Amino acid sequence: MSDLSILTEAIKNGNRADAVRLTSEALSGGDDLHAILAALVDGMDDVGRRFKSNEIFVPEVLIAARAMKESMAQLEPKLLAAGIRPEFTAVIGTVQGDLHDIGKNLVGMMWKGANFNVVDLGTNVSPERIIDAVREHKANLVGLSALLTTTMPAMKGAVQAIRASGVNVKVLVGGAPITGDFAREIGADGFAPDAASAVEVARQLVAA
Amino acid sequence: MSHASLTGRERVSRMFARQDHDRVPRHDTFWSDTILRWQIEGLSGGQEAALELLDSDFRPLCWSLPVPFPGMNDILSEDESSQTVRDAFGNISRKWKNKETEPELLRFGCVDRDDWDQTYKPLMVTAGLHVDVKGARNAFAEAHRRGQWSFFSASETFEMTRQMLGEETTLVAMASEPDFIRDVSNIYTDLILRDFEALYEDGIRPDGIWLFGDMAYNYGPMCSPAMYRDLIWPDHVRMAHWAHARNLPVIYHSDGNVSAYLDLYIEAGFDCIHPLENCASLHLQDIGPRYGKSLCLFGNIDVSILGSNDPVRIEQEISSKLAAGKRTRAYAYHSDHSVPASVSWETYKLVIKLLDHYGYYD
Repeated sequence: MSDLSILTEAIKNGNRADAVRLTSEALSGGDDLHAILAALVDGMDDVGRRFKSNEIFVPEVLIAARAMKESMAQLEPKLLAAGIRPEFTAVIGTVQGDLHDIGKNLVGMMWKGANFNVVDLGTNVSPERIIDAVREHKANLVGLSALLTTTMPAMKGAVQAIRASGVNVKVLVGGAPITGDFAREIGADGFAPDAASAVEVARQLVAA
Repeated sequence: MSHASLTGRERVSRMFARQDHDRVPRHDTFWSDTILRWQIEGLSGGQEAALELLDSDFRPLCWSLPVPFPGMNDILSEDESSQTVRDAFGNISRKWKNKETEPELLRFGCVDRDDWDQTYKPLMVTAGLHVDVKGARNAFAEAHRRGQWSFFSASETFEMTRQMLGEETTLVAMASEPDFIRDVSNIYTDLILRDFEALYEDGIRPDGIWLFGDMAYNYGPMCSPAMYRDLIWPDHVRMAHWAHARNLPVIYHSDGNVSAYLDLYIEAGFDCIHPLENCASLHLQDIGPRYGKSLCLFGNIDVSILGSNDPVRIEQEISSKLAAGKRTRAYAYHSDHSVPASVSWETYKLVIKLLDHYGYYD
């Protein structure tokens, strides 16, 4: 049985090569799949905590998320084969008319790190595509991002369309011009100012 | 009411020298949609006309833009609604024919260090100047005629790296391949300074330089101050050194909350910070007392308040910000980003009137 705390450290430090190697060794050594997953998630939780407290910044989060992603690529097929699936599914996208994706990508990576099944619809996403994806993937959560003030109305339109469609899903919004007040105004369930907060808020929303 | 006694050039130069000047210097930036709206609402002319009515004190002379494929705009495919093009960075994007929106970036041309070493770097260093010399000569003559404070401008190395590699690749490389980022930053800085030097040798003598680089988002810096100091800051120092050797002050533009970088900006030799976004929790009333002696402060007029088109809120914003700025005696007016199309022409005329009313020193 491996010392999985070393795997957690590799994720925390964004050490991709070590993280992939240790995941592979843990799998071939017969470690419990839940334990391996927990080690990875613990690493990303720590990254999120340090990002929120300004101990680390976006570059360090990105390399940690990359290490997590590559480790998950090894672990995921085994989890699926064992019938272990993430408890919650999130659909994420940048709203129609907006082509910016780094904030959305960062949140998506952090959510994957928190063991959400993440369906990334990309940028410039219409409300119809979001609603279709929620239905198709039985999503619990929608994450909407906008970087431009000019696309904030599109975010409002997306939230309204989601509500009008009748799908039962929580909506979390964020992005440079978005504020908590704006999120409340447009009827979103939650707002996150940064990717680390997006994990916390997402967990609260799906647990509610 | 206007009682200006100095030219724009004298006014801004005196601001940088911390000498008495008649009024707060002014400049602004407008979205193209804003100008279109204003033309419908009564503005006669385009951006230049709006700046003239503002009585802008600043005039750009050039924009240095080092690219690997100068002039490239190859159409790779086309249909009724869009064109897919390869641009001067080698990036492939889709441009919409009937929509006023930015292109959709499909793929960056330079995706890793091999692309940089083998293709991009050799092309860029062997290309000629990346600046419009003739345009700079004409603008210099115009600035001289109008008595405006003129400047060379460029996107600095962090911004250029991001435009070439994309934000995610850049930020990942900053953490995982620092030598790669140092090399890109170093080369870009060489090329920008080569452009500036060529203009200077041509007899185009600006009053300062203005560098653009968005190093922060609303809630903080893109990277740690330590990483900035290690990877990018040495090249900022080089740019400031080039300028100061010619007695030219340096304005540095970055959106977002740059508080964590301000001390390093000062140490690098930057003389002025712009645009001080309110949505990034930057407020003249706080920054002025802390940094007003070391940095000129440029901007901070909240575009969200201008966009409310509420005369009472706008007067409160301008009067309070100008009072705080004037206390430093080193403040210039600019919106805290660029003026969006939500601002009516009537509102902007009010802004100019309020600048005339509150912008003069006693």
